[in-house]
Amino acid sequence: MSSPWSNKFSAIALCASVAFTLSCAHRKTVVAPEPPSEAPAQATAIPAPGEGTTEVRPEPRVATAGHPESGVTASELPANLEELNKAGYVKDAFFDTNKSELRSDARESLAADASWLKEHPSVRILIEGHCDDRNTEEYNLALGWRRANAAKAYLASLGVATDRIATISYGEERPFAMCQNESCWWQNRCAHFVITAR
Amino acid sequence: MRQRLLFSCVLSFAVASALPVAAQEEVYLKVTSPGLTRVMIALPAFPSRPGTDPGAAATLLATLRKDLDETAVVGAVPEENARLVVVAPGNPALTHQRWRAVGAQFLLEGGLAGAGTQIVLEVRLFDLTSGEIAYSRRLQGAVNLAPTIAHTLANELVHLFTGRPGPFLSRIAFVSDRSGSKELWVMRWDGSEAQQLTSHRSIALSPAWSPNGEWLAFTSFLRGNPQLFILRPTQGYLKPLSTLPGVNSSPSFSPDGKEIAFAAGEDGSTDIWLAPVQGGTPQRLTRRLGISTQPSWSPSGRQIAFTSTAGGSPQLYVMDAEGTNVRRLTFEDKFADEATWASDGVRVAYTTLIEGLFQIAILDMRTNTRSVVAGPGNNESPCWSPDGTVLAFVSNRTGTKQIFVTDPLGRPRQITNEGNNVQPAWVAQVQ
Repeated sequence: MSSPWSNKFSAIALCASVAFTLSCAHRKTVVAPEPPSEAPAQATAIPAPGEGTTEVRPEPRVATAGHPESGVTASELPANLEELNKAGYVKDAFFDTNKSELRSDARESLAADASWLKEHPSVRILIEGHCDDRNTEEYNLALGWRRANAAKAYLASLGVATDRIATISYGEERPFAMCQNESCWWQNRCAHFVITAR
Repeated sequence: MRQRLLFSCVLSFAVASALPVAAQEEVYLKVTSPGLTRVMIALPAFPSRPGTDPGAAATLLATLRKDLDETAVVGAVPEENARLVVVAPGNPALTHQRWRAVGAQFLLEGGLAGAGTQIVLEVRLFDLTSGEIAYSRRLQGAVNLAPTIAHTLANELVHLFTGRPGPFLSRIAFVSDRSGSKELWVMRWDGSEAQQLTSHRSIALSPAWSPNGEWLAFTSFLRGNPQLFILRPTQGYLKPLSTLPGVNSSPSFSPDGKEIAFAAGEDGSTDIWLAPVQGGTPQRLTRRLGISTQPSWSPSGRQIAFTSTAGGSPQLYVMDAEGTNVRRLTFEDKFADEATWASDGVRVAYTTLIEGLFQIAILDMRTNTRSVVAGPGNNESPCWSPDGTVLAFVSNRTGTKQIFVTDPLGRPRQITNEGNNVQPAWVAQVQ
């Protein structure tokens, strides 16, 4: 229920019960407030028993469409979070050296992530910001934090609810690849997605 | 002759003990000038009274000799020279002359007495030129504290000649992955006696000492998100300090030990915050112009140096401790980070980038000049010794990240070996 309605409800309930208390304190009748005028009316009257047959149909399935590319439905998602994460439904976004601005390839991959997340509204994610080790530890921690939050902000701009997205920075502390040149550094400059709830 | 004058000058300062700041700086600059000859101290064996633990005198002397040899300021007369000296009984003047002949300028005479588990060391330092006693001291403690007694004495001897205590009781906290995860460790300044302080199997980062050596602040991923904790190393007592959103990293204690500056911020921002150590609401000092991190408090407590990307690349800035009067410090560097203030309040060491490699640079705040201390590989995370005479830093010149300590002439010595060892933080003494 929306809060204005709840507030009105309690205000009316309070007035009613105060009035009732004053007039007839000893009677134990529950006084229900009248619904306010703007409250939606009952859409359909419940038929009395024997007054006809209501055919019960399955409720329409909500947000169970699969990934546009994989064709996998939510019920087919691996039950195990670890397997779910290995399956790679959400793609990481990669960054230029020392930058937290989203490149066009990062925007594309985030857009795909956003549509998948909207199709799976129960899924919650953690975005980890990572960096290559060509800065100091402390600076990288702050840079990773910017990267994770840049990815989160972009997903939010595409309509993914922010309460589904947690962010953390690991800076250079948990690299994906260990080497001393660009062939692997790029892999460590990313916003990495982890599914935390299915 | 010039040297003699200098040392008498140093000596009188130290003895007077009330050191004006300007004089102190002058002493430092002269004493550590390259090419300076060390003051040589003769260290004959300490005679022990009957009943004294038989090994104590040898331990004391060996530790003292090793300590003094670590400095560039004082040194022990080599044993092969000392062996040539024949003591003239009842004739100290002649004995002193014989010590001078083997290169000694001072003579440390001592005697050891002991009962049970206690020892008492009495020493006198003779100036061999004048024959006068320059210093005398009585040190007492348990037999098993003999090395500590020797370190204390060595500290005082260095203090006598430089106006600053020696490093011999100091410790370096650092982060090591030798146990399989990044944990906090602490070791003596020479790399010995490494002890593990945390075993969280998480990620520990950026240790910083309280000025009195009582607390160690650091960042840990122990509870998922990075948080700031303070640890009492002598008691293993851990206390959460900040759970602000963001990185909660790079703590720096105020010189009075009451506040901690650190980096944190929500929605991808990282700013400098100030939190009371005793708990309370953190206050934000910088205003979201890019990344602001790595605060370092000036020894006076009036200023905080920090790194900011407000102008594009990371550069050093300084602000008043209230967060006002922000100005940029570095202009010549492509990258500048990890500012750390020497105890003189004049020099700031930091990490710069030269030809694609990290190097340590030192900025002199008086003259506004920068000097780069380049070495092989990447060199980063500088950290001053508590007396501000030498630097510890991290280098990957050997293939792994290891901590090195420079001597006062700038020569580096590797003090760690096992695993990767980073982010040194040096304190005069752990309380």
